Amino acid sequence: MDILPSEEEQMLKNVAREFLEAEVSTALVREMELDGLGYPPALWKQMADLGWLGMSIPEQFGGQGLPITYLGLILEEAGRVMAPVPLHSTMVAALTLAAIGTDQQKQDILPAVSDGSMVLTWAVQERDARLIPDAIELDAKADGDGWILNGTKMFVDNFVVAERCLIAARTSPKSGSSQGISLFIVDPNGNGVNQTALVTLAKDKQSRVDFKDHRIERTALVGELDEGWPLVEAMLDRGTALLCCQMVGAARKDAEMAIEYAKNRVAFGRPIGSFQSVQHMLADMLLHVDGGEMLTFEALWKMDEGLPASVEVSQAKAFCNEKCESVVRTSQVIHGGIGFMMEFDLHLWFRRVTSWSLRLGTTYDHRARIASALLDVPGQVRLGMPLPMGV
Amino acid sequence: MDFGYTTEQQDLRQEVRKFIDENVSQGLLDEMEAGEEGGRGPEYRELVKKVADKGWIGISWPKEYGGQSGSRIDQYIVEEEFMRRGIGIGGAGSGAPAILAAGTEEQKEYFIPGMIRGEIIFALGFTEPQAGADLAGLQCRAVRDGDDFVINGQKMYTSAAHYASHIYMMCRTDPDAPRHRGISIFLIPMDTPGITVRPLWTIQSDPPAPPGTTYGMPRTNETFFENVRVPASCMLGEENGGWYVGAMGLNLDRVGASRYLISVRRDEDIVNWVKENDFNGYSPAENPAVRDKIAEMWTEAQVCRLMTMRSMSLVNRGGNFTYEGSAEKVWAPEHGVKTTEAIAQMLGPYAQLLSNSEENIEDGLFAHNLMGSFQSGINHGSVQIMRDQMARRGLGMPRG
Repeated sequence: MDILPSEEEQMLKNVAREFLEAEVSTALVREMELDGLGYPPALWKQMADLGWLGMSIPEQFGGQGLPITYLGLILEEAGRVMAPVPLHSTMVAALTLAAIGTDQQKQDILPAVSDGSMVLTWAVQERDARLIPDAIELDAKADGDGWILNGTKMFVDNFVVAERCLIAARTSPKSGSSQGISLFIVDPNGNGVNQTALVTLAKDKQSRVDFKDHRIERTALVGELDEGWPLVEAMLDRGTALLCCQMVGAARKDAEMAIEYAKNRVAFGRPIGSFQSVQHMLADMLLHVDGGEMLTFEALWKMDEGLPASVEVSQAKAFCNEKCESVVRTSQVIHGGIGFMMEFDLHLWFRRVTSWSLRLGTTYDHRARIASALLDVPGQVRLGMPLPMGV
Repeated sequence: MDFGYTTEQQDLRQEVRKFIDENVSQGLLDEMEAGEEGGRGPEYRELVKKVADKGWIGISWPKEYGGQSGSRIDQYIVEEEFMRRGIGIGGAGSGAPAILAAGTEEQKEYFIPGMIRGEIIFALGFTEPQAGADLAGLQCRAVRDGDDFVINGQKMYTSAAHYASHIYMMCRTDPDAPRHRGISIFLIPMDTPGITVRPLWTIQSDPPAPPGTTYGMPRTNETFFENVRVPASCMLGEENGGWYVGAMGLNLDRVGASRYLISVRRDEDIVNWVKENDFNGYSPAENPAVRDKIAEMWTEAQVCRLMTMRSMSLVNRGGNFTYEGSAEKVWAPEHGVKTTEAIAQMLGPYAQLLSNSEENIEDGLFAHNLMGSFQSGINHGSVQIMRDQMARRGLGMPRG
């Protein structure tokens, strides 16, 4: 038990911060909001060369095979500078393939991810955006040796630049213990696949994706037919925890800007940071960022240890959704009017954290999952100990 | 980062649990329920001796004073298991960290082994009638007279004073110095002539709170000092340097299982209660609003736990706090209040029934918790003062 970063982890964090703060200016962030790709390929290549894209990909597929906690530290630093790169979507899909893909799938995709030549994404949500099996209607109809896809995916990150997308589709109606859902790899540039840009608060690249008679081959299936839901859940858990890393990274930087502003901004003849009301707002910001960070890294650590982590993931996201949002909003309040002027940079962080708080599960969704683990399984609970498991 | 316990630590936890099952006597439970001595009467002292023989008290304290020079995490495990049975044991909250840091060799050799054996228990003499949150305004005087000091004044909320062996108190030794620089700390036997202890009864005294209540103590005290003569060797740390010793000691003493458990046991209580009970067939666990609130509170409770783990990790590495101890002392008490009030709303009118009422739940636990939980945000530095410290020491904000 030592929940502080180890020397090695701290070093990685420092190196990542140094690189990202040098390479990612707010001018670049603004430029990429207007860019067709939404990311600078040169920066992406540099990150690959630093070994970040292969960080948690197994060594035999060109990666370093390091714990997901390490990748989390990179994403935290990426969130801090709002690095406009498709890191999150690529890593979520890549780690899913690394965990459950066939050897051929891994061979085809993971080395290309590690060396920066392939961007990935994934698509689960539809118009009923709840992250539950019943909300998945995208139809995958058996057709000889493959399937024909018809339907719509929503809120898909970086679809415009991805070369592969993992999608959850319905291959059978729900029956017995099977949810009838399967996980496939699709080519975003394939026939009958159309994306429509969504304009998000983060001004990043999100799409609605319409599939019309898009055919996929046998080799596109990831995992077992009809038994893809647990794989989707694991993917969502990983993605959610890594998104929380970005949220706490961004929220901490945002809080630091409020701290600096409060030290320097003079009102009523003294720095506003000398007023107790402002001091207490800042203290709360610190509590909230720290809390989100600890919950997040505990979830990642449990994944690395192979322990159940779903409740921890939901704790982290439910907390970050509210508290990281509170941090960036409070920072806006401390900055006053200037904070919401377009030319001032603060809103870059506010808009992203707010947008991220609405992705990969709302506060209510995650709390429902926590409540179910606490209340619907018999047996006494004790904080800090594993919850009773269902039979 | 390592959020888990080693196999040895898991074994230690099991061993402590087994020890508690085998050694906590009915006599001790009765003694605790009576609440006369804050749960630290003769039976308690018997138990402490047995625990000390196992080498489980002050595990992280140095070997030369009777500790084990061991891990703070191990010590925490022992504290937590005992705290969960309502027994304060293990070494946290004892004043030992300050004595170890600032004491003379003689003081360390006298006090630390005595604390480990349970023979030395400190009452805390900081607060005064006119010095609470603004502690540096304290007026209790200690005047040098040759090799002695003579103490006159009054201390408030000296909760352990009626059973403690010693009082760990702050006195003003230089009234002309700036406020923070004229204060010294003294460690004084309670049987020194001139000390009078008078009970102050809390809102938990009638009817008495059931065991396991948040701040269920029926009694605290005010303690009067009238020409109390003590040798100068009772002073801890440097003359007029007591403010800094006290602040450091408080910070270290805040770390431990006790503060965190006080604030989170309610979360466990309500989950376990609704799983095993209902109101004539209706369970609050069916109510989506209740489920959402329980999950919210559970998540906040995890943050209490993690903040404690962070402090443990820091102490174990030999690091210093900047704001972490204060952060814990904001988050945990405020969480305790939120969750206690939320639970009361889940239980409705039953949550107002006190320990001596018909139809009460868990002997009135939830009603008494409503009177106790907010106390945690007041004692040992209010949450407002803690936020000041976070902003000033942690974030470098200027003073007002």
